[in-house]
Amino acid sequence: MAERRAAVKILENKYSVGDVIKVQAIIIHPMDTGFTKDKHSGQIKPRFYVRDLEVFYNDKRIAWLELGVSASQNPKVIVPVKVTGAGELKFKFTNSENEVTERTVSVKPQ
Amino acid sequence: MQRREFIKGTLAIAAWALLNPEIHNNLLHAEEAEELSFADALELFTDGAAVADGSSMIKLNIPDAPPSGATVPVEVTVDYPMEKDKFIESIAVFSTKNKANKVITADLTPECGMAYLYVNAKLGQTQDVVVVVKTNEGKFFKASKSVKIALGGCG
Repeated sequence: MAERRAAVKILENKYSVGDVIKVQAIIIHPMDTGFTKDKHSGQIKPRFYVRDLEVFYNDKRIAWLELGVSASQNPKVIVPVKVTGAGELKFKFTNSENEVTERTVSVKPQ
Repeated sequence: MQRREFIKGTLAIAAWALLNPEIHNNLLHAEEAEELSFADALELFTDGAAVADGSSMIKLNIPDAPPSGATVPVEVTVDYPMEKDKFIESIAVFSTKNKANKVITADLTPECGMAYLYVNAKLGQTQDVVVVVKTNEGKFFKASKSVKIALGGCG
């Protein structure tokens, strides 16, 4: 399976320890509900979607998002994170076929 | 192959598949994805607990009439502390008239700093979007907003 396109971005430019920052994550991925038909083949598209998004801050899990098929295609989420120091935020996407995509962003408080 | 043998064979396979629950389930799933009504989705989240009105503390930022139902931005801010023993444990977003009504459930921790969530939902028709939050003490609050969809997002 080809590598999925995904991105994680901190929406604040400047922040310091103690601030709450908003972090945006997006993955290019279908959210097939299993109810729709493919336009070309006429076959029902099986359910295929992003199921989990886990957020780790310096390897500690701080948020765990479970998506359903009513989330939009190429789902975009924003989660808040309280800055406790320099480190790394890891976003781990898991889809309904247990394929994992990970993206990290470094936290650099000023 | 004789017609009689063929019928016997297929009947035997069908009976075996019906009796074997795993294969039975797989067959069902292959044919049709599971629908999830709003009531069931809510029940899965709250486990039957009572849900109080929280429209004063839950602030929703959802457009009244988004250009398309395929991506409807849903922004939730909960006016609630996010401290060690008083925080919002989960935020769940549901649609009410889609076939499978779960958009997202987000489990947060005090390390998040605030009870906030943004997600893009997909709405098939004009309907209410319901947001239910759970505090760490196991209390549930909800808020909802009606969203008008001109162009559906899913079939």
